[in-house]
Amino acid sequence: MLEYTEKIREISQKLLKDSKVDMVIGFRKGTVPMMNEPTFIRNANEVGQLIWDSNCGINLANYLTGRKEKIGIVAKGCDSRNIVVHLVENKVNRDNLHIIGVPCKGMIDRRKIGVIYGEEILNVVEDGEKIVVEGDGDEKVYDKKDVLQENCAICIHRNPVIYDELVADLVEEQKDVDRYEDVRKIESMPPDEKWAYFEGLLKNCIRCYACRNACPLCYCPTCFVDESRPQWVGKSIDPVDTRTFHFLRAYHCAGRCTDCGACERVCPVGINVRAFTKKLEKDVKELYDWEIGLDPNVRPPLDVYKTQDPEDFIK
Amino acid sequence: MKVLKITKEDLAKGLDTLNKSFRLIGPVKDKDEEFHNFEELGQGELPDFNFRNTRLSPKSIVYPQSEKMFEYTLDSNDPEHDILIEVKKEPSPQVVVGIRPCDAKAFSLVKLNFDTPEYKDPYWLRRFEATTLLGLACHNPCSSCFCASAGSGPFNTESLDMLLVEEQGGYLAQVLTKKGEELAHTAGWTDEAGSDAQKQIDTMKEAAEKRIKSQISTDNLKNKLDMEIYEEPYWEDVSFSCINCGTCTYLCPTCWCFDVQDETCGNCGIRMRNWDSCMYPLFSLHGSGHNPRGEKLHRVRQRFMHKLKYYVDKYDSGIQCVGCGRCVNHCPVNIDIRRVCELMNRSEVCPVTTE
Amino acid sequence: MEHMGIEPGRLQFSWISSAESTKFVKVVKEVTETIKSLGPRKHFIKTEAKVA
Ligand code: SF4
Ligand code: SF4
Ligand code: SF4
Ligand code: SF4
Repeated sequence: MLEYTEKIREISQKLLKDSKVDMVIGFRKGTVPMMNEPTFIRNANEVGQLIWDSNCGINLANYLTGRKEKIGIVAKGCDSRNIVVHLVENKVNRDNLHIIGVPCKGMIDRRKIGVIYGEEILNVVEDGEKIVVEGDGDEKVYDKKDVLQENCAICIHRNPVIYDELVADLVEEQKDVDRYEDVRKIESMPPDEKWAYFEGLLKNCIRCYACRNACPLCYCPTCFVDESRPQWVGKSIDPVDTRTFHFLRAYHCAGRCTDCGACERVCPVGINVRAFTKKLEKDVKELYDWEIGLDPNVRPPLDVYKTQDPEDFIK
Repeated sequence: MKVLKITKEDLAKGLDTLNKSFRLIGPVKDKDEEFHNFEELGQGELPDFNFRNTRLSPKSIVYPQSEKMFEYTLDSNDPEHDILIEVKKEPSPQVVVGIRPCDAKAFSLVKLNFDTPEYKDPYWLRRFEATTLLGLACHNPCSSCFCASAGSGPFNTESLDMLLVEEQGGYLAQVLTKKGEELAHTAGWTDEAGSDAQKQIDTMKEAAEKRIKSQISTDNLKNKLDMEIYEEPYWEDVSFSCINCGTCTYLCPTCWCFDVQDETCGNCGIRMRNWDSCMYPLFSLHGSGHNPRGEKLHRVRQRFMHKLKYYVDKYDSGIQCVGCGRCVNHCPVNIDIRRVCELMNRSEVCPVTTE
Repeated sequence: MEHMGIEPGRLQFSWISSAESTKFVKVVKEVTETIKSLGPRKHFIKTEAKVA
């Protein structure tokens, strides 16, 4: 990962020095293990703050929404796909972007590591495909592939789909991944069990909306949950309202979600919110053979009418 | 102050007894094994003391996230139509078992807001008065805890009625208030510890305090001018990554803001209050459509200014933070109050450096 | 909706032009019948917020 970091710094420094961009958006080292903080650099001699490792799971496309400056942005596979979504939805202008593509090798799941390590973690070091965890207990070494974020483990677009420069050679994409095992599991449940599954899933939700706010797709000026005239959904932690927030949020992401996992990563109580969005992703794939964020020049299926669109669910 | 000796068995037995006359609340590990939260304990269920700190703070025990305050009916045949009627609620007596000293101390910070000479918040106060806090001292503070420099500490007794200090085979228990005494009595904990018990506790306390690795400095906050901090250039850098999710405020034991909402169904309705957060744009949106804190920079600054400056000035009792580390660990983008506090507290102005 | 446990059949989609009055009547009848046969709804019932 060191090479990545160095290359990112090098590219950023050049961009800023040559005044090609006003700022570079990337990550800086966090203050707690397995956390990095999104940051911006305006000054070429501050590029030393920028880093890259397996804790850069936040989706940086989220920080582009509506910005007008010239921006250099560090983008892994899913970030780049969300940049494409932004381009398609006119949320940012391609001419203002210099995309520093990062062929991604997957992000590690801080929670998963916390659970399997069991004790307090004080330091985590990456050593190629190994993750070394130091803490209150004995030092442990895990295979990175076993502690990946769930969405990274099934990712098939690790390489940026759009970029101006790359920080390294493209990586090999994962093949033969079963992307929808978990969705099928829910699909096979009888209705009551499905209901109970989602009820259990959401029982700890505190409606902080971190999942919504971390998502690059959620940029409506007033979100439906915040609208008060008319009020679409109650604001307490009543389970009906909480569920309404979640399924409607998912609908708003239908055909747009890149499964970047940011929503799930940020939830303070560890709710697997992708359980909602992934079903829609699967449906869109099956019904329209569509994967979002691969080409800025094609309109997404829910935007356009085609005569061969499936319609057997319409009576 | 009395110190009792309670064996593990006596603790379990005592809690069982207490469970008959109190609502017992204690740390319980969530089913998915990721974290602990305070939950009501069923008959015979014991709290799990094998935790560092709970994910959510116990503030909801006294101050629920959503709480009904009034009821009303719009039915014009009802003589009381269109009148807000206070919901009669007698909170049942409850005991919080195993609350950490930082979280207990947080109640005393919040109390400054909910219990003032002019205004008293009946909902918060009634619940607080019905609550007995049976604390559990921290022997192994987390690396991100900075309670000792935030006016609290791993053995801090403020707000607590009783403090359990784990030792070999059982606990030493400091009985701190009348409520605590009654609690010990009801539970049948009567065994007084030897005369050196307090000394033993002090030694352990010192050891625990030494284990705290993280600290903040707050000495300059009070002397600085509001505007001096307010206009610092670093706020853009501090706030850039924030997604305004409010996690920091919802998890925080000392954040107290709420929003009042009416919900009507048919002819009947309730007025309730829900936690709110200064990190949300809606929080400060005026009816006119104007928003004085329309940008996230304003909101992030507000959170830190309130905790580390306005509160300090207004109440003269330290910062509005007990150093529990929740926001440090769970802010999804790693905005760290310790770092911000250092920036706000530093005395000379130097360029923004962030390494 | 069905994926998260709403009884199958409760949610239906139709496309009816403003000129298709007979189709409209037919669909309304069908939908009403299906819903009746499903019985009272089990989920998404909120009369008063479940709060403390
Ligand atoms: S981030 Fe988690 S707790 Fe917050 S609203 Fe989303 S699911 Fe609920
Ligand atoms: S819904 Fe979640 S996974 Fe999908 S794009 Fe948004 S943050 Fe990423
Ligand atoms: S938890 Fe972090 S990202 Fe969320 S509102 Fe607080 S500071 Fe901002
Ligand atoms: S501000 Fe953060 S560290 Fe301080 S009491 Fe609140 S959650 Fe804990």
